[in-house]
Amino acid sequence: MMNLLRKELSELMNRQTVLSLIVSFVMIVMIGTMVTSLMSQEVAGGATVHIIDEDNTPLTQSVISLLEEQGCSVETGSDFETMAQTKQWTEAVVFPAGMTAAFENHETAELPVYTELTTTSAVKMSMTAGSAERVIDALKTCLADQYLDEELSFLENPVKSKPYTRANGVTVQVSANAVITSLAMFDQVMPLVLFLLVVLTAQTIITAICSEKLDKTLETLLSAPISRGKIIGAKMLAALLVSLLYAAVYGAGFLCSILFTAANGQTTENIDISGAFSEIVQTRTAIQELGLQMPGAAWAGVIAQLALTLAIALTAAIILGALTEDAKNAQYACMPIVLCTIFPYMLSMVSDIRGMEGAAKWLMLAIPFTHTFIATSCMRFHDYALFWGGMVYQAVFLGGVIWFALRLYSSDILFVHSRKLRGNMKKSV
Amino acid sequence: MPMALEVEGLCKSYGKKEAVRNVSFSIEEGKIFGLMGMNGAGKTTILRMLATLLRPDRGDARIAGHSIVKEPDQVRRCISYLPDEAGAYRTMKGIRYLEFIAGLYFSDEKEQAECVERGKNICGLGEALDQKINTYSRGMTRKLVLARTVMTRPRLAILDEPTSGLDVLNSLDIRKTIRQCTVEYGTAFLLSSHHMQEVHTTADCGAIMKDGQFLATGTIAELLSQYQAENLEQAFEKAVRGI
Repeated sequence: MMNLLRKELSELMNRQTVLSLIVSFVMIVMIGTMVTSLMSQEVAGGATVHIIDEDNTPLTQSVISLLEEQGCSVETGSDFETMAQTKQWTEAVVFPAGMTAAFENHETAELPVYTELTTTSAVKMSMTAGSAERVIDALKTCLADQYLDEELSFLENPVKSKPYTRANGVTVQVSANAVITSLAMFDQVMPLVLFLLVVLTAQTIITAICSEKLDKTLETLLSAPISRGKIIGAKMLAALLVSLLYAAVYGAGFLCSILFTAANGQTTENIDISGAFSEIVQTRTAIQELGLQMPGAAWAGVIAQLALTLAIALTAAIILGALTEDAKNAQYACMPIVLCTIFPYMLSMVSDIRGMEGAAKWLMLAIPFTHTFIATSCMRFHDYALFWGGMVYQAVFLGGVIWFALRLYSSDILFVHSRKLRGNMKKSV
Repeated sequence: MPMALEVEGLCKSYGKKEAVRNVSFSIEEGKIFGLMGMNGAGKTTILRMLATLLRPDRGDARIAGHSIVKEPDQVRRCISYLPDEAGAYRTMKGIRYLEFIAGLYFSDEKEQAECVERGKNICGLGEALDQKINTYSRGMTRKLVLARTVMTRPRLAILDEPTSGLDVLNSLDIRKTIRQCTVEYGTAFLLSSHHMQEVHTTADCGAIMKDGQFLATGTIAELLSQYQAENLEQAFEKAVRGI
């Protein structure tokens, strides 16, 4: 038994596996550290509440004092637009003029709640949201203290929040959650589909090249009167078409699930269809007003960037396939591509990569796949410089990997299982 | 007789190991040259360099007048290479595989069809060509890949251990096909083999290799005479063991 186990381990644990493990370890540590740091920053940011006190009464002052007693850092300002631009406020509650007077008349008051939308990541928004609830809770506590001895029905629900969302410099009366939910159908699913596509097609191509090497059909191809460029191009195109087929199937499946859910909801749930429909229309109109709707040209840009990402992943897979020595190692060879995809995918889920700062941001942007994960966000929030910059970077990166692949497929390295890559790359046929 | 292949001072190293050391030989058109040597002698490295898969460190070879170093694209039009234990695309049908290979060598549809027809005749697999290659026996696969190698009528066919792992009858069929192609198409063959009998009965001339060098080269009769041997097996043993 030990003899067998030793043999299996020695086959599986070669230099390639160890290298792959080390790279995985380093990248997982980096991902973990970055995600944890970003999450703690977001949570810490959530302890700050922003208030626009237009009422400025003893009641509003007592609410602010209570919040400070509860450990919140309270920042006040004149109007949300200015504060969002100058102080990067992402959320604010307004105490409107006359609010205290309304309470004194035992009337419910309407509190405008502003949210600055910078991302369509539901996770990120859920982490930063919450300060409005804290303010309203504090206000209710103060009102309960003030009217302690009175039995007033308005105290059960003394305030009604009126949501406003600001994006691209425009403010519209709509809930940020409704906007995100409406956009999430694409913005949350697209990264998942992209992740699956890249990993699946890369794995397919590495395995295919590996079996071509083992069957020696690759030697037949490379000794035939046909250019290396055509061989690599055909492999990439075939894998790209298969991946697009996968994308179409995923997309169709997703669309069907939405239609089935909608149909199921209409027949079994006792819901106000016309009300729900009008809400959807209202949200759609707000999305347009906020400039978050993507026109056809923007979709074309995002699809072009998706194609670039797939082309980079496929070329990288062609390179890794050439360097893989046997079928067992084909699984591990895909690891660098998986990690370079999972890293921006995870971060785009929990954070706004565009809003990151310093070296971490540049490190993320150096991964060519990142640009596709943030492409829709760039388009929705009119960050065209980052979008086009990313596209140019991806195109240059693609050119580089294609050049390297061509050099590799014209070199000895395919047939000489030597780690001295540089030396063997120089010996181009 | 014009030369199909002229090799001059070919050298190749893998790191510090010298796999091929200053090898020179030539093959006339329509002739068969057998490379004999133990495992690791450098036979496959020579074949891969001539097939333009590896680049020589020093030296050069001219195939139908084209340099393997300077004109690899032209060389690929004149050669056909059959690697050791080469397979074919398993999910393809035999006939589709022949069509695929013909498509790599010829752009004209008529020429492609003629090429496939030659392949069908050479392999002799008949109706089995309509089956997928993963249903073929080892012998059938070998006949198919040999057929695709010679059906393009190359000036030089490079075969690495063409009968390796085959039974006697399949080996005989392959040897007959090789001889037939030299006569019909004037193709020159460079083949490597462990089977001295195979080289003896198939090749016109050959070379015995050890540690990347030619120990002896010439016609089969010359090799036998040089080592005063009754057959190539004896000559090979004497050459390699230095008896």
